[in-house]
Amino acid sequence: MENNLALQMRAIRKTFPGVVALNNVDFDLRRGEVHILLGENGAGKSTLMKILSGAYQKDSGKILLNNREIEIKNPRHSCELGIGIIYQELNLVPHLSAAENIFLGREPAAFGLIDKKRMNQSAQRLLAGLGMDFDPQRLVRELSIAEQQMVEIAKAISLDARILIMDEPTSALTEREIKELFARIRLLKSDGVSIIYISHRMEELFEIGDRVTVLRDGNWVGTHNIAEVTKPELIRMMVNRELTQQFPKIKAPRGREVLRVEGLSRNDALTRISFSLYEGEILGISGLLGSGRTELARAIFGLDKIDAGSIQVKGRLQKITSPRQAINLGFGFLTEDRKTQGLVLPLSVQENICLPSVERFSRFGVVSNSEETEAAGRFLKDLRIKATGLGQRVIYLSGGNQQKVVLSKWLCSNGNILIFDEPTRGIDVGSKAEIYQLMNQLTAAGTAILMISSDLPEILGMSDRILVMHQGRINGEFSAADATQEQILHCALGEAA
Amino acid sequence: MTLKAYVALHGRQFGTLFGLIVLCAVMWILTPHFLTVSNLLNVAEQTAIIAIIAAGMTFVIITAGIDLSVGSVLAFSGVVLASLLQKGVPLVPALAIGIGVGFFTGVLNGLLITIGRLPPFIATLGMMSVARGAALLYTGGRPISGFSDSFRYLATGKPLGIPMPVLAMLAIFFMAYFLLTKTKLGRYTYAIGGNEEATILSGVNVRLYKTLIYGICGGLAGLAATILTARLNSAQPIAGMNYELDAIAATVIGGTSLMGGEGHVFGTLIGALIIGVLRNGLTLLNISSFAQQIIIGLVIIVAVLLDMALKKSRR
Amino acid sequence: MKKSLFIMSAAALLLFSVACQRNQATSDGRPTIALVVKTLNNPFFNDMQKGAEEAAKSLNVHLLVQAAEREVDVEKQMQIIENLIESKVSALCITPSGSKEIIPAIVKANKAGIPVVILDTRVNPEALAAANGKIAAFIGSDNLEGGRLAGELMVRTLGGKGKVAILEGIPGHETGDSRLKGFRQAVAGSPGIQIVSSQTANWERDQGYTVFQNMLQAHPDIQGLFACSDLMALGAVEAIRAAGKTGKITVIGFDAFSEAREAVRKGEMTATVAQFPADMGKIGVESAARLLKGERIQEEVTVKIQLITRDNLNSNKP
Repeated sequence: MENNLALQMRAIRKTFPGVVALNNVDFDLRRGEVHILLGENGAGKSTLMKILSGAYQKDSGKILLNNREIEIKNPRHSCELGIGIIYQELNLVPHLSAAENIFLGREPAAFGLIDKKRMNQSAQRLLAGLGMDFDPQRLVRELSIAEQQMVEIAKAISLDARILIMDEPTSALTEREIKELFARIRLLKSDGVSIIYISHRMEELFEIGDRVTVLRDGNWVGTHNIAEVTKPELIRMMVNRELTQQFPKIKAPRGREVLRVEGLSRNDALTRISFSLYEGEILGISGLLGSGRTELARAIFGLDKIDAGSIQVKGRLQKITSPRQAINLGFGFLTEDRKTQGLVLPLSVQENICLPSVERFSRFGVVSNSEETEAAGRFLKDLRIKATGLGQRVIYLSGGNQQKVVLSKWLCSNGNILIFDEPTRGIDVGSKAEIYQLMNQLTAAGTAILMISSDLPEILGMSDRILVMHQGRINGEFSAADATQEQILHCALGEAA
Repeated sequence: MTLKAYVALHGRQFGTLFGLIVLCAVMWILTPHFLTVSNLLNVAEQTAIIAIIAAGMTFVIITAGIDLSVGSVLAFSGVVLASLLQKGVPLVPALAIGIGVGFFTGVLNGLLITIGRLPPFIATLGMMSVARGAALLYTGGRPISGFSDSFRYLATGKPLGIPMPVLAMLAIFFMAYFLLTKTKLGRYTYAIGGNEEATILSGVNVRLYKTLIYGICGGLAGLAATILTARLNSAQPIAGMNYELDAIAATVIGGTSLMGGEGHVFGTLIGALIIGVLRNGLTLLNISSFAQQIIIGLVIIVAVLLDMALKKSRR
Repeated sequence: MKKSLFIMSAAALLLFSVACQRNQATSDGRPTIALVVKTLNNPFFNDMQKGAEEAAKSLNVHLLVQAAEREVDVEKQMQIIENLIESKVSALCITPSGSKEIIPAIVKANKAGIPVVILDTRVNPEALAAANGKIAAFIGSDNLEGGRLAGELMVRTLGGKGKVAILEGIPGHETGDSRLKGFRQAVAGSPGIQIVSSQTANWERDQGYTVFQNMLQAHPDIQGLFACSDLMALGAVEAIRAAGKTGKITVIGFDAFSEAREAVRKGEMTATVAQFPADMGKIGVESAARLLKGERIQEEVTVKIQLITRDNLNSNKP
């Protein structure tokens, strides 16, 4: 009966000091299936996968591989057992070639020298098997994220992986690349490879998944065939409460114009960009990766020099040359990458929230701790940031709470023109909804929001108006109420609106 | 904050302090000469020069930088100060100029790093050679000796029975502590080291503060030069060789991470005292200078291993 | 946490075991004399240590030997002396790393009532007097005389005519300065001798090589070299070998290390000025021991100095 099962995990339990991370969780994997693992951050998905990859040891429970009980001792052992893992942050050596990365540590050798020719040929065969045709001698740092991912997958396959764990594989990919990735996954499936797929993006699950297992707070909630569940059901299983609407947009009255950009250009990146932004409005900016969306945000925020064009803030012409100046004008910039640009990870919640406003809390260079605590404490409460206190280091917070800290930072500096760059990337469903609620509250209070996002449902669900960028230009403008995903995608691909 | 939470947050410092206490206890058992008031003051006095340099180094290392030039800057500041004193320049302006030379050399380091975009290692490596050469050229390679008693009081004076270098060291560390924990400058120091890009995006003038921090480091090397010159009654152009390494060692033993964003100045003081107590105790025990080097090296390695183990256990 | 405790205890154990190997502390009533040399990675001071140890053995006194890692580290030497004062040694024998920089340490010893005997390198007398410091005795070679002997030999060997280079020690070091002065005095009488270059190589062998190599580039016709120490001379000998001029340049060194004697035997060096550091160490400890017994000692002892050439090489073992 169980011949079809590649892997069974039975009653897995894992505790950390003071926390039960996994409470008797069951999980099984059929040959050649894509099994989605779903759950909010902290639900226990990563812990379960770390046990499977040998990074953690389980406290109790059984693991059966091909119906034989095994103990996974360490990551190397897991690898030998045919379990491959593709992390969200790819683990490649950037200045080595694709082939060198694939065979790192086990290069084919002849007379003690690396047989480059054989290595490159093998790599090419592996990549071809995945439908990729780029030269394996290219350096990894020159490859796109999608291509790098393929190198990782090729590496796992060359190690005879029969089980592949993919952690948020699409988070940095464009729509087209996602489509291609899914094609490769189907190819792998037909070869009998089983895939454990972790993602927050609901749409994808239905497209690629066969079965889905939901975890919540370290407990197994349920396993279903994808065809037999609906999105709202899954969300309810994950958060144990009905999110009535995935995008709880509340339209705020449109106020006066707060930002007017005219003819903004910057070398090749931006060409004659013009638009206006109003109080209480969310202006969505869509477009493919590299279409100039982030460059536009950076130029407005004073990070990059502009070659031509003008920026008017609240009716007055401004030359913004530094972030300080932008902040003083009321701008705030929630960057695309929280960890490398938004937060100072080793510092506390309070220190991060107050960073742009230290000036205001200081007299003669001395920072008033009480004023800071008061201000930061207010945001901790208002935004319901889950932390042990203001003194907790932000590195220990979950993605959603980290994003709330970044938002607090700009609210604390009295930001009222906020630029959100991919505001919900890598954030679980519950926190996503909270971020959207906060955006509603902000617009209701008259804040203007410029929202850059690759997530089409998000752009359509939360914006009032949508600008679509293509190759550094604005290629079209839509009213969110009557635009469709297809229209926007076409526009983003360069077709006239 | 509860005591437990405080210990969890600052556990590393307690670890270092514990290490110092254990070390002192070992020395106390091994030699009767160690635990006397005069010897402890003696250790503190010997530690003062490296500790003052290490205080500046702590600022720099918290920003994820490094300053290899402090030893040479010390020599250059020292000979400039000495020559001014010998030319009859009054004490206060001479001191101001001497320390100022250190400060401006540091600022120059800062500008090379911020405006010139050089890695701190390279910029200060270059400055290490430049400042040393400047000191040698300025003096023709000869030491400058013989100063007034009022100047020498800076090293030989003992108000309330405490040697001046020790008082200077304590004053500097309290000031550094205040700067790092209570002021804008301190907050930005940690922020720059923790994530420079996020700090720039938060509207902080990172170039200005980084330059200032290297200036502070250079200025403290200048202050150390003042004490060293008064102590030896001579300023040598070859003074302070390898002091940068001792200062880095003290900072690292004290728990400041070379990756930046983390560190405490009192940890550095304890780190400097650990090195000082080791040198003192090992001499009292008549252990050869060769074996001393092995032991000090091992202590640095063990301290960092411990640091990593502690951090891991807190995860 | 268990692991860190393990590391900590391992470190403590290591420290303890090293500490246990230390020379027996003075608990037997014998007086302790400390010898502080400039550094122990220089054969000159190793010889001095040997002489001192012999004397200590025959006189039944306890001897401690300490040194900084680097010869020029005046601050470290001062710290060592301070620590020795704290450990209450009976007498100090010191070879100062700096003629003036040592004075604050001497004053501290004076205040603690510990007599100080200076070896090898003279303390600057004016500065000592100004600081009200007192030394019991100075025992050393006459470096001025040594320099003069070298200079006279240079004039003789070159026949009173030729281009000569000098490798100096660190400026401000009394020994090097005196040797230099003696040499210059001796050659000043011969107008045919022309000093074309005189630079410091900081007492170091590798710098002796590079500095002299550069000198040879600038003046390929150099006929003679006086180096203020054998280490620098031996560095220069290598540079001469690299230039293919071995035996064509008259090289005179100072200190008469065994390696330098070997070079003289092979003809790579013409001569070296012998000092007798073992004698210095021996006389130093003897003087200190006599002081402690309350006897009067000679305040200045000049240890013999001698020119070593191929002719007298074998008759003058150190």
